[in-house]
Amino acid sequence: MSNRASHRIAGLLIVFVMILGPLEASRADVAELLVRLKLSGYRTGTTPPEFRGTTVDSRTISLASLRGKVVLLNFWASWCSECRSEMPMFEQLHREFAAQGLSVIGINAREGTEVIRGYAKELRLTFSLVLDPRGEINAAYGVIGLPATFLIGRDGRPVARAVGPRDWTSPPAKAIIQALLSDTVSPGESQ
Amino acid sequence: MGVQILGVSADNTFSQQTFADSLNLPYPLLSDFVERKVIRAYGILNERTMTATRTFFLIDPQSVIRKKWVLANPTTDVVYSATLLKDIQEIVAKK
Repeated sequence: MSNRASHRIAGLLIVFVMILGPLEASRADVAELLVRLKLSGYRTGTTPPEFRGTTVDSRTISLASLRGKVVLLNFWASWCSECRSEMPMFEQLHREFAAQGLSVIGINAREGTEVIRGYAKELRLTFSLVLDPRGEINAAYGVIGLPATFLIGRDGRPVARAVGPRDWTSPPAKAIIQALLSDTVSPGESQ
Repeated sequence: MGVQILGVSADNTFSQQTFADSLNLPYPLLSDFVERKVIRAYGILNERTMTATRTFFLIDPQSVIRKKWVLANPTTDVVYSATLLKDIQEIVAKK
């Protein structure tokens, strides 16, 4: 092998390390954070069910329309006490990260507009609250207990799920969201 | 006892994963979405809802269905684990 050829290969290897190094580190970091927050990951190739719903303020939202954003999808109901304790955290995340591309969506379970409107007013919620009067979105996501929360990356791939409450403003939770906002990396197989 | 429990439904795998997490299921769930081939082959596809009628099949080591319980009203009908266990023990005893 000539010196010129070996220099070219060395150059290629360095470029390879520079490109893949931070990406791989980010995947590993996110996977570790999921474990710390007791979130379950998804295998590569899994796609979240598409949905279309109407918000309490009469806007239409679909999952497809959120492509390019990091989506935090929370399933809740007004009678669910653990949901109530999570709501101020979601509001905080919405206020802190919406401008960077986080979309916090609350999917209600089978309650009416007035109930949801009153709940949002009481807790001063400003993120999108979607009606699911027949529970179709809940069923598509397999939600049988509340709260349940899903994180979806900018590329539309599911990143993690939580069945039951979590501390969504804790350092690992914020770190996951920041990592997802910073690029399109999803951790892939992170069970 | 050498018994493998499998759950089959017409739901997608995404939905099944959430469901399994919610109940801490210690056995695998198999998705028969979209085609419902298995559910149809076992003769328990509800063509109107395109879901499976809740049914338990007890299959022996020779792949013979030894018993089945069809829940006519899935919201109220129950097959108690003691019932299942009794039939499983009978099959195991004859092996």
